[in-house]
Amino acid sequence: MYGKGLRALSISTVVVMAVALGLVFFWVPLEADQGFLQKIFYVHVPLAIVSLCGFIAGGLFAIQHLRTREQKWDFRSYVAIHMSLIFGLATLITGSIWAKGSWGHWWEWSEPTLVSFLIVFLLYATYQPLRFAIEDPERQSRYASVFAITAGAFVPLNFIAVRSSTAFVHPRVLGATSNLPWQMSLTFLVSLLGMTLLFTTLCKYELTVKHTRAQLRALKRLAERREGKATASLPARGRSAAPRLQATAMRAHTPEARAR
Amino acid sequence: MTALLAELPALPLHEAGKYVAGAYVVLFAMVLVYVAIMAIRQSKLERDLGELLAREQRLADGEQSEPSGSSAPEPAAARPGGTTAGAGTAPSERESTLA
Repeated sequence: MYGKGLRALSISTVVVMAVALGLVFFWVPLEADQGFLQKIFYVHVPLAIVSLCGFIAGGLFAIQHLRTREQKWDFRSYVAIHMSLIFGLATLITGSIWAKGSWGHWWEWSEPTLVSFLIVFLLYATYQPLRFAIEDPERQSRYASVFAITAGAFVPLNFIAVRSSTAFVHPRVLGATSNLPWQMSLTFLVSLLGMTLLFTTLCKYELTVKHTRAQLRALKRLAERREGKATASLPARGRSAAPRLQATAMRAHTPEARAR
Repeated sequence: MTALLAELPALPLHEAGKYVAGAYVVLFAMVLVYVAIMAIRQSKLERDLGELLAREQRLADGEQSEPSGSSAPEPAAARPGGTTAGAGTAPSERESTLA
């Protein structure tokens, strides 16, 4: 179900990432102002864009979950936010490295772009504890969806607010005033594509592994039942932040469902 | 390959080189850690699947040795004698079912 097309996606991710690295280090010209340090731009900016888009995607999946009440949307929302948090952490670290090389400081508290991204990151860092705090799976997924929608709406608002701010020192490389040479634009777009593919591939891996685990658990329960043992002999799943995938998800794989 | 590398421009790994290398290493280290976590999860799934297979094998063997007509087979391990694996079971499977 979730593993469909995973191999092709993985191969294309590796190919595009390799091409992007080749372009970054051996083809694109050095930037006049920042020099070699500007190469961080091809990893830091795509990471930030993909991370923020992932948060928004998490919100959109959450809307679908509240509309349809289908568990799969909550599952997708959870994985998108989870992965965006990892990408967000990578954005913060690579941004700090860039700041150290460019400004001589690891962090600049007066810089709105940095601080706003940190706020978004910390906001989403509460997502997992929120889920973990609610034991009832129904309530957990409902509350998490509301959180994902609210925080997802905050992301573009925050982005616009920071872009509108005038007192900034963070370099603006994209937008109406951007005058990137075509080689840099092309390399940036390839890097962005590579990062998007990486995000999608890792999300798919996560979805596949979690779904397989849920299926295996359901199979174990069925086997226990068939053996005549009480289902209680298999320890019940403890409290978890991850969405509880019900065995109903397995119905999609039954011969009847396939025939439909 | 050597000719291609000779044609490529040299990387100016001076002052900024360590920062650029650091940024890219962070990204690839994170991906590597993630893939390692996934590999651990995968091996756990494989182990669980092996256990399930061993249990199914035990059940199938129990059904074969039970007289026809009995609906719910008794778990093989509970039977007197204690042998759980059938004639066709591999030694490793036998060990896992006994365990």
